[in-house]
Amino acid sequence: MLQAMLIMDPLEVGIWVTGIMMVFVLIGLRVAYAAATAGFIGLIWIQTARLYRPVEAGVYDPEAFSKAIDKGIDISINIAGLTPHSKVSILALSLIPIFIMIGFLAYHAGLTRAIFEAAKRWLGWLPGGMGVATVFSTAGFAAVSGASVATSAVFARIAVPEMLKLGYDKRFAAGVVAAGGTLASLIPPSAILVIYAIIVEQDVGALLVAGFLPGVVSAIIYGGLVIFLAITNKNLGPPVTGYTWAERFKSLPAASPIFFVIGIIILCIYGGFGTPTEGGALGAFVILVMALYKGMRWTELRDTLIETSKLTAMIFAVIWGVLIYVRFLGFAGLPDAFSNWLSSLDQSPMITLIFILLAYAVLGMFMDAIGMLLLTLPIVFPAVIALNGGPDVLAVDSAFGVSGIGCAIWFGIIVVKMAELCLITPPIGLNCFVVAGVRPECSVQDVFRGCFPFFIADAITIAVLIALPGIVLFLPGEFGFLS
Amino acid sequence: MAANATILEDKSLLSRLDRLYLKLEKLLTACGGIVILLIVFLAVANILGRKIFNFPVPGYVDWVPYAMPFIVFLGLSFTQREGGHIRMDIVIGSLKGRALWCIELITVMIMFAMTAVLAFGAYKHYDRAKQIGDTTENIDLLLWPTKLVVAFGFAVMFLRLFLQIWGYFRALIEGGEEPIAVPLVEDAATVAAREAATVESDKIEEGN
Repeated sequence: MLQAMLIMDPLEVGIWVTGIMMVFVLIGLRVAYAAATAGFIGLIWIQTARLYRPVEAGVYDPEAFSKAIDKGIDISINIAGLTPHSKVSILALSLIPIFIMIGFLAYHAGLTRAIFEAAKRWLGWLPGGMGVATVFSTAGFAAVSGASVATSAVFARIAVPEMLKLGYDKRFAAGVVAAGGTLASLIPPSAILVIYAIIVEQDVGALLVAGFLPGVVSAIIYGGLVIFLAITNKNLGPPVTGYTWAERFKSLPAASPIFFVIGIIILCIYGGFGTPTEGGALGAFVILVMALYKGMRWTELRDTLIETSKLTAMIFAVIWGVLIYVRFLGFAGLPDAFSNWLSSLDQSPMITLIFILLAYAVLGMFMDAIGMLLLTLPIVFPAVIALNGGPDVLAVDSAFGVSGIGCAIWFGIIVVKMAELCLITPPIGLNCFVVAGVRPECSVQDVFRGCFPFFIADAITIAVLIALPGIVLFLPGEFGFLS
Repeated sequence: MAANATILEDKSLLSRLDRLYLKLEKLLTACGGIVILLIVFLAVANILGRKIFNFPVPGYVDWVPYAMPFIVFLGLSFTQREGGHIRMDIVIGSLKGRALWCIELITVMIMFAMTAVLAFGAYKHYDRAKQIGDTTENIDLLLWPTKLVVAFGFAVMFLRLFLQIWGYFRALIEGGEEPIAVPLVEDAATVAAREAATVESDKIEEGN
């Protein structure tokens, strides 16, 4: 058997080791370590096979093997040992902890109630007005906090009681809050888009800008859906009227840091005012000052720092772990082989793409979005680019009607939207559980049912984004990222 | 995702060591958080200095990558203690008692071995940098401290994993439902309930 392992084709080694990694993930090994350990095993295997020089070909030579494996282990330890440092010490990656910190600080800056109040005064008069207000305030707050689940938890406490008091349907109220939280991932600042950009080696700014329009469009579609539901079903809940313009404008200053954070990041990327990191840092600084002004104490700041640091350690562990595995994949040539196989399939590339997205939908039901994307993208991303016609293809010659760079950005937005969708689908749609957890009057089934219209809306949004890549690529094109 | 798992305590030696070690881990994690805050200040100073006084922070592009390993590796072990590293728990979530502790013990032992490899490899990486006196590109910061912190982070993690092996091993022998000093496996509803509870205790409610 040892002999067979030593003369195995690298590609076959790649498949075996990927299988080992899947077993690791299934038995509940932490994702970072599942990837790192499988990668390390793979590196030893492939290096040893490469260095093994038996005296007589085809006959097992113990001495040559022991020499080869010693050297193989040595090389593998070096690669595994330097990857965590070298792949983490990157300027652009500093955006991730900064965005996470903005999220934790946002709670202490009193932004939740402020934005909900502003949205209520400005949008409450529409049919189903409280629902519309909830959609836009969750979208705004989720964008800044970057945490879908936590946003849903907060708004379940703020928005749901007000809606119930006004006589809104409880399933609807819970569904709006759970679904609204999913709007977090596309509107900047979005840590998951930064992670995607780093893994697929695209410009971070391009991804952040690209997410803006689809994020806002999703929020508008949600808002439209609420209005439609309110018009067709008179029992859903009444609008809230009677606010004067003066009252409306008065509600804006307290909510303004949210617009400042989103605005400054876009401005930094667009106007060349600074790097995305500097924009994020300015945003974090403003929210920190705001939180201190609102009376945040040292213990709260310390907890914020610890939570930020912890979440950062978790995300980066997955990054360096997966990158050790990616080093091995490169030696094994698995991504190339997978791309070639997918491209050679006798079916339309679009059908293949849809199958890939459906696979993500299923996987997302069982796995955290960040882990899922990091584990799969090293293999799936090159394949999608190859399906489109390669990294340098022009839009006119491509399968999906987008250029090579355009495809990288477009696929990122769709896949992230897909991953967020899984937060409101059974069996483990965490947003729904959290809303049901906060509101004893709603069962999880109620929330899932309340989310259903939004799920349909999201599925349609994803279909539209696939059919019309222009929605995703318009802003990056305007900002000069596509040329 | 950000929620902490429940970790039970009692008066045993293991639990006391766990809590003692937790103090160190928490301190290191807070240090990591402070470094993030410093990066925020540095980036703000850099952009304002450049725009207003035409004088950016010298060596900004060196300092930020230099600080990253401190942020990433000082909190590594604490995150493991709190069960914060993500995994797929759909399979183990359905197990109970000894079967569960057995699988947990196996996965923690794999992590233990891999962490030893990573700590050793990271140490070698540090050692090479120290030998040749490697520095950053622009302002010649010595690179070895930032490489050493990686090895240090893994070393702290190594001892934490040892405590967890101990914890799961004890659970396996005793066969109870509630082991101490290790994060418990919880279903989505429990995780969500606790996430909701953290928000509930948040002062944003009274603050407005």
